[in-house]
Amino acid sequence: MNVLIIEDDKALARELGLYLHNERFHCDFARTGREASEKLFVNEYDFVLLDLGLPDQDGLQLLSEARKERNQQASIIILSARGTVDDRIKGLDLGADDYLAKPYSLLELVSRMQAIVRRKHGVTQDVLPFGPFVLNVSDRTLRHQDHEVPLTKKEFDLLHYLLLHRHKVLTRLQLSEHIWGSMISDSDDRDSNFIDVHVKNIRKKLATYDPSEWIETVRGVGYRMKTAQEA
Amino acid sequence: MAGVLLLALPWAIEVFALRHTEARLRSELVKVRQRIERVGVNSFLAGQKNDQRLHYDLLEDEFIDLRRGQLLTAAQGDTIATLPRQQQGELVDFRVLRASFVHDGQPYTLEIGKSMESVEDVYGLLRGFAAYALVFAVLTTLLIELGVINYLLRPVDQIVMRLRAVQGPTPPPLPPLHTGTWDFQYLDNSIQQMLQKIRTVFEQEREFIANVSHELLTPISILQNRFENMLQAENLPEEAEMQLVTSQKTLQRLTATLRTLLLISRIENAQFARPDRVDIKELLAEIVEELDYRLQDQHIALQQQLTDDPVMAPANRTLLFTLFYNLLSNAIKYNLPEDGRIAITGAAQADGSYVLVVHNTGKPIPKEQLPYLFERFRRFDDGRVEGFGLGLSVVRSVAQFHFIRISAASDEQGTSFTLHLPRPR
Repeated sequence: MNVLIIEDDKALARELGLYLHNERFHCDFARTGREASEKLFVNEYDFVLLDLGLPDQDGLQLLSEARKERNQQASIIILSARGTVDDRIKGLDLGADDYLAKPYSLLELVSRMQAIVRRKHGVTQDVLPFGPFVLNVSDRTLRHQDHEVPLTKKEFDLLHYLLLHRHKVLTRLQLSEHIWGSMISDSDDRDSNFIDVHVKNIRKKLATYDPSEWIETVRGVGYRMKTAQEA
Repeated sequence: MAGVLLLALPWAIEVFALRHTEARLRSELVKVRQRIERVGVNSFLAGQKNDQRLHYDLLEDEFIDLRRGQLLTAAQGDTIATLPRQQQGELVDFRVLRASFVHDGQPYTLEIGKSMESVEDVYGLLRGFAAYALVFAVLTTLLIELGVINYLLRPVDQIVMRLRAVQGPTPPPLPPLHTGTWDFQYLDNSIQQMLQKIRTVFEQEREFIANVSHELLTPISILQNRFENMLQAENLPEEAEMQLVTSQKTLQRLTATLRTLLLISRIENAQFARPDRVDIKELLAEIVEELDYRLQDQHIALQQQLTDDPVMAPANRTLLFTLFYNLLSNAIKYNLPEDGRIAITGAAQADGSYVLVVHNTGKPIPKEQLPYLFERFRRFDDGRVEGFGLGLSVVRSVAQFHFIRISAASDEQGTSFTLHLPRPR
């Protein structure tokens, strides 16, 4: 998968490229609007990651430009420090596929990119089984055989995220970024400690149906979803 | 002025009453003389002894005394004096005019008198009349003065009203004041200039906060991404992993603070629209669902009693969500550690506004801290749960944006926040 990273800050572009490289993406970089225009004219990309605050051009203008040329199929994700609701709506109106406000978690970015890929190729994984449980994404339910396990909205999102990134340890920060990231509300409650309360509740609910520990606590770091063999 | 008038009045009236009496006495004298000229003195004196005629009127407060042959006062001309007179065995004071004249070669003395009692009557009448007139005059003057002063000072009222209408540091420009008085124009200009200065300073501060926050978000992004990359590394020693996670947490706090500051500056910048009509009950239900896990975790009982249906319009739903979310989140955070209570109550007011109260049990907020509750970066250093001291600042900003008046009170029973929601339009 080819990704064009349009970002004027060198260090930020490097970190982003490094993470995406580890996730098997091939990255190309542009630091100015002009450079980006050229690359969009010449190459074909699957993803364009666009910083709105470019030194020579308004990112939103670049966005509509990108849509016209050969990169009509590319998925565009706006990465911006201008996190207002208006910017978000404007960006999405101009044809961006998603919008992330800086600072964002790289895991969240990759998750969204993967979600876009699944959507585009029609391989949406509606059903995620683990052990005796089945998480159904389309009707947002968790089932144990014939019984529905009642989950709150946040609990469902959290479990879904953990399942999508099985094998990986997810930090509390990454988890809270995922379930509270889009909220512009006050800081305090994005406090990653509240993740523990949610995880505790999910565990309690799972335990009434199945004795195995599905969510592993990685001391000091975060949580990891166990595989069927481990559990 | 009125006082001097009041003091001088009795004297003036007395003088006036005497003058009036004397004038009457003189005019009567003239009449008597005319009559004597016409009908002769004998018809006056006919049938009287001692060549004297004394005539009292019916009520005996006036008399005319004509006698012949007394020339004692002829040289002195007319005299007026207050003299006692014998009247049915009693001495009564009369104001007496005495005149001498010569008729047919005979000298006569004529006295016309008016009892002082009747003079006093006139005096009393005048006094009463004067008192009424005075009161009337004073009242009229006062009313006229008030009216005129009000009219003249109307621009001051206008200025005060316009100043009262100023809600924040960036009010809409005031319309020019309509007055021909130079002083008021001068005052108005000074106020306009002052407001302009305040606005400029405030805007600079706001811009500064927005720029700083914005500029800081990029380096924070770099750090956060770097930490995330470092955590990805295989074979990372456990200790290093822990340190990275701790750093990540610190960074998250910084991010949260910056985001909140940006949010406040955006609200104050009026960068949000008010396109929504928000059903407050529905909004609260959504927030309670969102926070339910924390209520359960701390075993907090939530009671909700909202009579009527509070509605906010025009409003920004996202911002109102943030306002009530922060209030409720605080009500949980600063509640008793176990088995606390939160009560949300409210009722519509007669004028169509709505008063909503969020009350929570818990340690009271010291009185001296209450006024600073909504200010940025105030936190209570008594070891209570970590916060960033910005939650209530956001609440205040959102409230101001929606013209909601908000106040806080706290005692041993707990803390309550009272919101006056304006009448929906």
